[in-house]
Amino acid sequence: METEGQNCRMGSYIYRPKKTKKVFERIRGASVIHILSHTLYFLSLYLSLYLFSDQVRVFPILERVDSAMISDSIPKASISMASSTPKNLPKKKRANRSAKVKQNKLVARRGQFISQVKNKIGCKDEANGEGGLHGGASVHPENERGQAMEKLEINPRGEEEIYGDGSPMNHYSDSESSPLNSPTSHTSSVLGSNGSGVQFTASSRSGSSSGRSSSSSSNGCCSEIMSEDDEEDDCLDDWEALADALAATEKKEEVHNPESEFDSPPEKHGIGSQSSGVVINPEIGGMAVKRDPELCRAWSPDDAFRPQSLPNLSKQYSFPLISERQLSRGGPVWGCKNVGGTVPTSCPICCEDLDCTDSSFLPCLCGFRLCLFCHKRILEQDARCPGCRKQYDRDDSIEKEATLDGGSLTIRLARSCSMITRS
Amino acid sequence: MNQASRARLFKEYKEVQREKVADPDIQLVCDEANIFKWTALVKGPSETPFEGGVFQLAFSVPDQYPLQPPQVKFLTKIFHPNVHFKTGEICLDILKNAWSPAWTLQSVCRAIIALMAHPEPDSPLNCDSGNLLRSGDIRGYQSMARMYTRLAAMPKKG
Repeated sequence: METEGQNCRMGSYIYRPKKTKKVFERIRGASVIHILSHTLYFLSLYLSLYLFSDQVRVFPILERVDSAMISDSIPKASISMASSTPKNLPKKKRANRSAKVKQNKLVARRGQFISQVKNKIGCKDEANGEGGLHGGASVHPENERGQAMEKLEINPRGEEEIYGDGSPMNHYSDSESSPLNSPTSHTSSVLGSNGSGVQFTASSRSGSSSGRSSSSSSNGCCSEIMSEDDEEDDCLDDWEALADALAATEKKEEVHNPESEFDSPPEKHGIGSQSSGVVINPEIGGMAVKRDPELCRAWSPDDAFRPQSLPNLSKQYSFPLISERQLSRGGPVWGCKNVGGTVPTSCPICCEDLDCTDSSFLPCLCGFRLCLFCHKRILEQDARCPGCRKQYDRDDSIEKEATLDGGSLTIRLARSCSMITRS
Repeated sequence: MNQASRARLFKEYKEVQREKVADPDIQLVCDEANIFKWTALVKGPSETPFEGGVFQLAFSVPDQYPLQPPQVKFLTKIFHPNVHFKTGEICLDILKNAWSPAWTLQSVCRAIIALMAHPEPDSPLNCDSGNLLRSGDIRGYQSMARMYTRLAAMPKKG
């Protein structure tokens, strides 16, 4: 668990070596205070909740899973957590239940998010592979996949931390900016080192009614040290700080990460509006949630990521319309005597213009077209096709078949027409 | 009904004006007062006894045209197994049961020219002509037809 968490961390920082150093320094400095705060907190908890000693043993495991899920815990923090599990035993059952519910929620959301990210990766890979519009396409997908795999690990965390707005940037930015924003330096350092935990606490508090107990079940225990009065304000502060930090870091990212921009040529080329790379991470974290309905669907026809090799359904559907327009425009040129497979603009019998219904009406397999009015009149008389002199079959089935046949004919013709216009 | 045929005939009239040059063998003229009355001048096809002759056809277009075929008859006398020698009535399937609304007056003229080149002696209106052909007297038929062409369908010399 710890190694995984670290890997994630490394993955998220991989494009920012300088900052990584800073953070680790801060973490090292903070860890002492962190442990102190933990012990303090758990002592107080122990004293206050001593009476509820019939704690189910499952809870610490859940908690550990929780911490793993959040996975931002640096080794020391998680060790402290592990050591503190026996002290956590005396707790409310209610807390356990809410924690379970929350856990389920988190797991569900994580799965959802991972699938979304996977979708996204698939889309992008395909788009890049198909498009081949930029030279870097051959190198890019691998890069992207690597990063995306990191994202798979990272983003769920972001998602858990802040609902819908989660991103790997968040805890990072929080670790940077929260010392400035939060009032108590003591806790803020903890916040800095264990940012995700704090945010998780905040979110869980806003999310669940059993605020204190549930939040205490998470590893964001540091906030519990603060006084009750400060808690609400601090939460708000956290959120505000987060918002500020988000904005700030996005700007910083754009300025300070030229190599990451270099890594994401699609963005520069403007092909994939959202592409890989560290720069886009917040976008992906946030956008993936926003684009949820779109991702659940198949490719939308105007999607930038849509592989070009896929058959263009919308165009196919619009073929007959195009053909009609085209033919009606080119009608005077081609004339009504055009015998081939083309659709005449006017009925050869009555010389009235064929409307849409008439043009899609093909009563005979020979392909002779006429307006419905004339067709009816002919049916009233000798009921033979003017083109081939064969008896019109009064059976509707044949007529439908013929019409269908005509439909495909129309589509085929229209395709050729549209090809002409496109080229 | 009348309107539909009128529109159709007007369209054909415009068509004829445009194709006048395209097909020099057929000269289709609409009656100035009545669009349902047409006359046509067709040249006798080459390598037939009718070569060199100009035959006048009279079209009478019914109200139900084009669902009903136009009534066509030769105004010029012609010796042909499928044309009545006195009335000029033409025995042509497309003018009877094989009529198709897709046909036009112009195409009828072409069909008549084709009929002149390829007589059908098995359904004769002109029994004499038909009998000549059926008996295999091609030469007799041709000379009779050529004579009548020269008598009736050629401009009088001098």
